[in-house]
This record gives sequence, structure tokens and C-alpha cells, in this order.
Amino acid sequence: MDKKTTDQIHYLILKTHSLTGVIPVGAFLVLHFSINSLRTVGVWPYQISIDIINNLPFLIWIEAGFIIAPLMFHSLVGFYIYFSGRSNPFRYNYPHNWMYTLQRLSGAVVFAFLIYHLATTVVPKLWYGNTQFEAAPYLIYVMNQEFKSWDGRIIYAIGIVAATFHFSSGLWGFCISWGILIGRRAQTNAGYIFALFGLVLTVMGLSTVVEFSLHPVGVEATEPG
Amino acid sequence: MKGNIVNEKTVKLKIKRQDKPNSKIYWQEFKIPYKERLNVIACLQDIQRNPTTQLGESVNPVTWDCNCLEETCGSCTMLINGKVRQACTALIDSLEQPVILEPMSKFPVVRDLQVDRSRMFENLKKVKAWVEIDGTHDIGEGPIMSDKVRSQRYALSECMSCGCCLEACPQFSLTNNFLGAATFSQVRLFNLHPSGSMLKEERLDAVMGEGGITDCGNAQVCVEVCPKSIPLTESIADIGRQTTLQTLKNIFMK
Ligand code: SF4
Ligand code: SF4
Ligand code: FES
Repeated sequence: MDKKTTDQIHYLILKTHSLTGVIPVGAFLVLHFSINSLRTVGVWPYQISIDIINNLPFLIWIEAGFIIAPLMFHSLVGFYIYFSGRSNPFRYNYPHNWMYTLQRLSGAVVFAFLIYHLATTVVPKLWYGNTQFEAAPYLIYVMNQEFKSWDGRIIYAIGIVAATFHFSSGLWGFCISWGILIGRRAQTNAGYIFALFGLVLTVMGLSTVVEFSLHPVGVEATEPG
Repeated sequence: MKGNIVNEKTVKLKIKRQDKPNSKIYWQEFKIPYKERLNVIACLQDIQRNPTTQLGESVNPVTWDCNCLEETCGSCTMLINGKVRQACTALIDSLEQPVILEPMSKFPVVRDLQVDRSRMFENLKKVKAWVEIDGTHDIGEGPIMSDKVRSQRYALSECMSCGCCLEACPQFSLTNNFLGAATFSQVRLFNLHPSGSMLKEERLDAVMGEGGITDCGNAQVCVEVCPKSIPLTESIADIGRQTTLQTLKNIFMK
């Protein structure tokens, strides 16, 4: 392949940013929320799903390659985008202009939340390794602790809402910037569909929080606790 | 209204002024006699005839650009009460007072309310916003255009390069090199032309870089402020589609 110009690189980086937001980052979000909401139908489906995921072969490579790396890329380029524009929704007060502003803000909020979320779940899991303790009881224990207090509940609720907003509004933006939705009416109609989709995801996420808060699971972590 | 009736009503204007590019910015207030159906240009003409501030100080007349006086040339674009629009169609009767006038903020100021919008022209050149007919041989008559394409193009061709869409766009700034909605829309206009489409790839290439189509943040303010109601967000999405297909073509077919 011939050498790329800076313009071509810029184009490819921004396109990749947009793509990684949907696949794999967005797809993972949907999967993650779906599996977690199994908690609302019972402890065992939830426990089993965690076990299955944590015993996948090459898990660390899947996590690093399909989640962490694309997520880091998406976030890094996201911050570049964040600082490349200047929001003006107070001067030009239109719904989409607010969405533009919220899209950027929610991205930053999700980023901050994820640092916290990963530091309290995946990092200890990787640190101690699967050999020393079982992931499912440990993770359930962590979540039990989180949702005991309003601090944890609020932090998670904010993280969840920011993520579902960012994803559903981002999906809409994706469809426009890749030229899938062109006509004005198509854009509006699809907007409602994505709003509904976001709402469903939000309900899924929040119901897990509510379930954990109301009914902590009687599981003790084996190690390190 | 009869001319001999003395009307006590006045119009108050507050104008942001600057004597030359990069010089100090200052504000002045003016009070002029009210007349029915005044527009902002008429007020500025009034000030030009009698350049005295509200405090009675005699000052240099305020400069501004205008030409057609019917929202067709775009040259009188400025910020009126904080929002970008044409001064010639800004009627005093529908504006809050004092009427605050400022030059556009995303183009270099020449003097007072005059700005230099040549960046827009440069952008049109970058994307070859024309139908190429000059060459070594006569390319003859172009193919016939369907009525649907013709009417689509007509809507896009109404752009008067006023700059409203750029001024209001959160992604467009004085210092970056974002091409902006008007430019993307012109790419669509000329790619839709049967003969103009001969330069399609070159045009797409010009918007697939820094400042190009990927830098649009989909805030859709452009379409809200465009005085010509040009379907800018459709143009942006369409250029999104054309560049996406071009990328696939570049990867798999070249
Ligand atoms: S959609 Fe938004 S970011 Fe894109 S050109 Fe229009 S105003 Fe600018
Ligand atoms: S697209 Fe509309 S707002 Fe933008 S320059 Fe053209 S006429 Fe003005
Ligand atoms: S003078 Fe031409 S648009 Fe106002």
C-alpha cells in the first residue's frame, strides 16, 4: 500500500473512532447489560453467565483486543473530538445542538465512570488471577458492596444513563455520518427508534441496580474478598 | 404615517465596533427616530447620515456590507441580538431593543460589521465546486437531467455563501480548517450534475481529510440557521454515504 497522507490518516482515525463506538464497544455494552439483567430473573442464570464468560478460552486476549483496546482508542479520539469543537447550545438553542453537547459530556462521564468500574472489578480480577479465586462470587460480592450505599447506586445510575445515552445517540449519529440515514424524515423517524432503544437499555441497566440494591446475593467471596 | 407627524418613538442600537483588523474592540450606542417597517440596514444608513452616539459624541460612521437588500446576496450577514442572520431582512418591529449588532465571530473582521468571508470561496475552490467545461476538446452537451435531480439541485443551488451555517456551527472556528456545511452541500450539488460528476472523486477526496466530513459533529445547527432552508443535514449525510462508498472502493477496487 502506498504511504498515507496526514489527511487520509485523519479520515481513517475518525472513521475508526465512529466504527469502534458501534463494534465492538457498543455491541459489548448491549451484551454486558443483557447478561447483567439476568440478575433480575434469578441469581443462578447470572452466576452461570459470569462463569461462562470468565472461563472463555483466551479471555484475557478477548478482553484486551476486543474491549480494552477499542475502548481506549474510542476514548482517546473522543477527547480529541471533544476539544476540537466549542458547544454553543445556549446561543443556538435547538434540540440537536443540545444532543451534540450532551454527546460530548456523556462520553467524558462514561470515561470517568469506566475508570472507577474497571478499577473495582476487572483490575482485581486480573491482578489476583483466576487461579486464586472464583470470579463470579467475587464480582457478585463487589456489586453487593457497591449497592449497599446510595453513593454506589448513584454512581452506577449516572454511569449507566450516560452510557446508554452516548450509545443510542451515537448510533443515530453513526447512521448519519456513514450515510445510512439521509432524508430528514428518515433521520427523525430513526431518532425515535434509537431513543426507544436507549430507553430499553437504560431500563435494563437500572433494573439490575435496583435488584442488587433490594436483594443482595448471599455469596461470600472466596478470595481476596 | 404622515411625514409631518413628529414621532417620539426611537430605536436603540448597540454596536460592536473595531476600526481595523485586530485593533481594539469597543461598543457604542445609538438612538435613531423610529419609522414603521425599518430594517437593520435602514438603521445603519440613518447612523451613517448622522453618526452621533446616544451620548451626543460625534464618531466615525459604522461600516457594514450589503448589496441586494432582499436576502439573496448574503453580504449583510451579522450577529443580531446574538444570532447570525441577514441585516436586510431583520425588521426592527420584530426585534428586542436595544438591537445588538456584532460582526460574525468566525471570520476575520475588516472593520466594524464587515468581515472577510474569503475562506468560503477558498473552500469552494478546494472542492472544485464547478462543472469543468474547459479542456483541450469540446465535451459537448451534457446528458439530460431528470426533473427530480433538477429540483434537488435547485434547492442546493440557492446557497448564497452567507456564512450563517458556519458561524453557528460548533465545529467551525476562526482558527481551524473545517470546511463546513455549505461546502459539503456544494460538493453534493456538483456531484449530482451529470457533467459535474466527472470530478466526483476529486471532490470527495478533498472532503476526506482534516477539516473534512468526519469533523462534522452532527449538531445540525447549520440547517436551523440557513436562511435559504437548504437541506444541509441531508447533504452532510449524503456526502457521508458518498465518502463511505469511496473508501470501500479505494480499499477493495483499486
Ligand atoms: S451538522 Fe453541526 S457540526 Fe455538522 S456542519 Fe452542521 S452545525 Fe456543523
Ligand atoms: S448553506 Fe445556507 S447558511 Fe450556509 S452559506 Fe449557504 S445560504 Fe448561507
Ligand atoms: S443585502 Fe443581500 S442578503 Fe442582505
